[in-house]
Amino acid sequence: MQDADQVSADLEFQRGLDEQGPSSDEVPSLPMGQWLRKNLFSNWANGILTLFGVLAALLALRGVLNFVFSENRQWDAVRTNLRALMTLSYPESQYIRVWVALGFIVGLAGLSAGIWANWGGVSVKRMSTWLMGTGAFLAICVILREPSVIIGTDGKVIRTIEGSLQRESFVDAMVDRSSWWIAAVILLAVGAGLWSNFSRPVRRRWRRPRAEVPVTSVVFVGLGLVVLSLWVAPYGHYAYISATKAYVAEAGRTVAFSTKLPWTVMWILLCGFFLAGRSLQRSRYLGLIKGSSNLLWLISPLTLFWVVLRDPALDYGHVISTDLPMGLAFGLLGGALLWGLTRTDIGEAGRITATLLLGFAVFNWVAAFFGWYPMLQKARISFLLLALAALLAPNFIGEVAKRRQLVFGWVGVTALVHYLATMINTPSTVELQSTEFLGGLGLTLFVALIVVLLSFPLGVLLALGRTSKFPIFRMLSTSYIEVIRGVPLISVLIFFSVMVPLFLPDGMELAELAAVLTGYTLFSAAYLAENVRGGLQSITKGQYEAADAIGLTSAQRTGFIVLPQALTVSIPQLVGQVISTFKETSLLAIIGLFDFLRVANSVIPAQSEFMGVKREGILLVAMIYFFFNFTISKYSQRLEQRVGLGER
Amino acid sequence: MASTAPPSIHHERPPLYRDVTVVKWVVQIVALLLTLGALWFLANQAGDNLKASNVPTDYDFLSVNPGIDLSSGIDTDPDTGGRALWVGMVNTLRMAIAGILVATVIGVLVGLARLSNNWLLRKLGTVFVEALRNVPLLVQILFYGAVFASLDRVSMDVGPINGWFHVSNKGLSMPRVHIADGFYQWMIVIVIGLFAANFLRKRRIAQQDLSGEETYPILTAFGLVVVFGILGWFIHPIFGFVGNIFDGLSSVVSAVPQGVLQLLVAVLAVGASAYWIRGFLNNRRTPAGLAKLTDDDYFRMIFAGIGGLLGAFFFLVLWPGLASWMINSASDLFEVLGNKFGNGRSGRPVDVAMPDIVQLGKFPNYGPSGLNFSIGFAAVFFGVVFYTSAFIAEIVRGGILAVPKGQTEAASALGLRRSTALRRVIIPQAARIMLPPLGNQYLNLTKNTSLAIAVGYSDIVQVGQTVYNQTGKTLPVVSIWMFFYLSCSLSISVIVNFFNVRMRIVER
Repeated sequence: MQDADQVSADLEFQRGLDEQGPSSDEVPSLPMGQWLRKNLFSNWANGILTLFGVLAALLALRGVLNFVFSENRQWDAVRTNLRALMTLSYPESQYIRVWVALGFIVGLAGLSAGIWANWGGVSVKRMSTWLMGTGAFLAICVILREPSVIIGTDGKVIRTIEGSLQRESFVDAMVDRSSWWIAAVILLAVGAGLWSNFSRPVRRRWRRPRAEVPVTSVVFVGLGLVVLSLWVAPYGHYAYISATKAYVAEAGRTVAFSTKLPWTVMWILLCGFFLAGRSLQRSRYLGLIKGSSNLLWLISPLTLFWVVLRDPALDYGHVISTDLPMGLAFGLLGGALLWGLTRTDIGEAGRITATLLLGFAVFNWVAAFFGWYPMLQKARISFLLLALAALLAPNFIGEVAKRRQLVFGWVGVTALVHYLATMINTPSTVELQSTEFLGGLGLTLFVALIVVLLSFPLGVLLALGRTSKFPIFRMLSTSYIEVIRGVPLISVLIFFSVMVPLFLPDGMELAELAAVLTGYTLFSAAYLAENVRGGLQSITKGQYEAADAIGLTSAQRTGFIVLPQALTVSIPQLVGQVISTFKETSLLAIIGLFDFLRVANSVIPAQSEFMGVKREGILLVAMIYFFFNFTISKYSQRLEQRVGLGER
Repeated sequence: MASTAPPSIHHERPPLYRDVTVVKWVVQIVALLLTLGALWFLANQAGDNLKASNVPTDYDFLSVNPGIDLSSGIDTDPDTGGRALWVGMVNTLRMAIAGILVATVIGVLVGLARLSNNWLLRKLGTVFVEALRNVPLLVQILFYGAVFASLDRVSMDVGPINGWFHVSNKGLSMPRVHIADGFYQWMIVIVIGLFAANFLRKRRIAQQDLSGEETYPILTAFGLVVVFGILGWFIHPIFGFVGNIFDGLSSVVSAVPQGVLQLLVAVLAVGASAYWIRGFLNNRRTPAGLAKLTDDDYFRMIFAGIGGLLGAFFFLVLWPGLASWMINSASDLFEVLGNKFGNGRSGRPVDVAMPDIVQLGKFPNYGPSGLNFSIGFAAVFFGVVFYTSAFIAEIVRGGILAVPKGQTEAASALGLRRSTALRRVIIPQAARIMLPPLGNQYLNLTKNTSLAIAVGYSDIVQVGQTVYNQTGKTLPVVSIWMFFYLSCSLSISVIVNFFNVRMRIVER
């Protein structure tokens, strides 16, 4: 076991060398002087470059620090409006719903992390380097930042006679920042202590296990410290109280109770579910648990958004008289039909039934467009789903277990679709001040999630169409993909937000958010299709031939042989697509939806207290985007390395 | 051929609904009809709705004064809607071209820095790339815009170098190198010089191959171009006669009757499809006669035929105005060229104008002579340049890393110097890998300039939005956007493909 670990570690090291020359992991093993000479001053040109680099880096850092901590910055604008940035005008009295939704996601994330992960460890040596690096960085920052201005007794800055700002002396500034100095020294000291304990040269590494700490512990302890700091550190209490329409700004105390308690609960949920998930790793039902956690990930965005956050007011009379019977009828009768369609002796009749059903379902939609006869939308959707299930039925012909799988799957899907459709159709009880019931970061994340979820199947279909042997399908998909990829997203979004009402028949309307979601999904699907196509093209001909040789139908070949391999190959590109979808949700701000960029760029600067304060909010938005994107891309790189992509 | 098949195999045709070929084509044609039907229905619906709202879909607004002012461009107070959109297009192209040039330079430098053996440079490159590519472009543009807007007011003695380079809340202003009178004649001399230089370079290379002596082919060719440039600076007025040629062409083109052009184009369309079908059939011909054509082959031929006929129909019947438009614009183009190359343009080819600050009313502002970046332009420009250069840096890094290590080792084993190995071995191979994604990034940059709408720089999207807000002609404006961006994409991919083909490894 240890040998294997050693081999893999060596391989990893070798790969590191191959990929990026001198690996940064190897830095500590050289003595300081040699390391400097090798990496910074190998020849005179390099030395000059290093000097210029140091100078440029210090100047840039100084500029950033002076900008962020300048006395002209009004960070109060951001602090006061944090709630608006997160959820815009979601009512305070109902805020518990937001926390419940967040708690659900956090718990699910903890559970999945616990079930799936073998997260590996971080060597203590590496952590000590990080600590020392952070300490040194902090010290440099403290020195670089220009001395603060002097604030007089009246709370205003003191100016010289010429009108320029008067700053305190360098020594005074350093004394003022003594708490930062202490923090830097503590970090350096802890790092150096760990370093000297764990970096003794070891002759045979595999004799002594390397000192490692699990990644998860590091993350949880770090998050725990952050949460703890909410209770002790004087971040100040800033808020907008809508009841009194007053801004609260109290520096020098800890944050409000309504902030620190939920975050503490979140932390407990995360750790608790992680531990629970880990203990389930050896359970007999691991497969079932994995499957259901995946399913929860798929449906939770929809459910949380439409059920928890919207809190629909159900009309129970209607539910009992119409919704329930309809759901039951579709579930049971459809199940019975599918059970019949999967009999071994069904033969040609199965396909004919499925085709007829499909024709009927499509006809229902056409009729809806022209308004020939009324029908509940739910019924139309259900008929379409049933037709698709019937088309899939031949793949499940055979053993009872397989047939049961199909029927149970159908009943589950019906229940879910009917539940969601009922909830979406019911009016919300949440009292709203704006048209969109959720804004800010919540809206951004929701749009990104929905677009990724919906564009995925569409993108896969388009990619299959573009690589198919059917020339007309190929032509249609290719022209669609190329046209969409040729125009900028903003024009597509404007088109959909302005023009969709034009294309709809009388009496049919679509909310702006829905129109934008549709446009964005169609746009994103074209890009996704290209990524999937890359994967499809990497599948060798032999795979197709082998699938044909064992007698798979072309649907089975695509579903069980080609797509799984193609999607695995295109994971890096798909993750990149997810990141860019998330980044481009910022364009919602242009077409008039209140995502958090728009809150920072136009809502906050319009408040009378913070007239024209833009840069602070945008900076925060940039940092939030950076945090998400950087985390996702780093994680995907780890994933690639682990599944061995890129080594083919 | 079919008669030679062994008769022992009993071929029973399956029923029609199980015949693969039949099902395949029925499904496809039904899908095509459904798609076309849906599009037709939507278009119809849109037409009805537009009629109901009293906004007819036509392109009349292109020749009507829209009454809008643009924030920047070649003409800030356009006479017609078409002119306004044209200014927007020029602004977009300007931004895209400037952005592509600068982003490529920065991107290549940062990409090389990320590969340097200097630890500090590597880390700085990483910070640059990670910070810029993980923050959405729109956020960056808005941030730069907000920062520029909060700079000091413009005043008569604004810095940093008064008279040369100004930075204020009106944007940046710097010296402008611009095309002057004799530029086009001068370009003729330079083009002749380029041909001569190419000839010289080839000769020198041949000489070097023959004798083994270093003949510096690139250097001498470059020198020849410089010589031509200097010469041309003084002698360019002698090419004034070129203008007359263009003038003559213009009158020739405008004399072409519309019907003739229509017929010509129609015949060309049908002829092209016939030619394609003939080539296709020739391709299928084997020594033993024509190979058996599959259903896909028939489809292709039918498709090509229909395409040709549709093209002819379109020009002859559907839109005869297009032919006269083509005649008019071609004649206009030649007229403009005739003017540009015309006689009497004897001034300097290129001139420099210094930036100035003028005070017309109460507040001083930048004068028109310098190269001025308005806040909007500067925000979008820095946004797209930094954002795209982060991606280009990654492409450069990936391309160079993708060249196998053995190539470097082989080059040094042959005794090539490091710089020669880089120039002759590494970069040609890396460029081949880098080119397609690089083209993609250029395309993205061009499309991303549309975010100018957020800071009010008058690019085509912003101008278009203003125009349709004024006139209500949303659909025509959107169609112009699509046409413009699709032609941009097409031209960039044509250029990239051209280089791609040139750089492809010639395989045995």
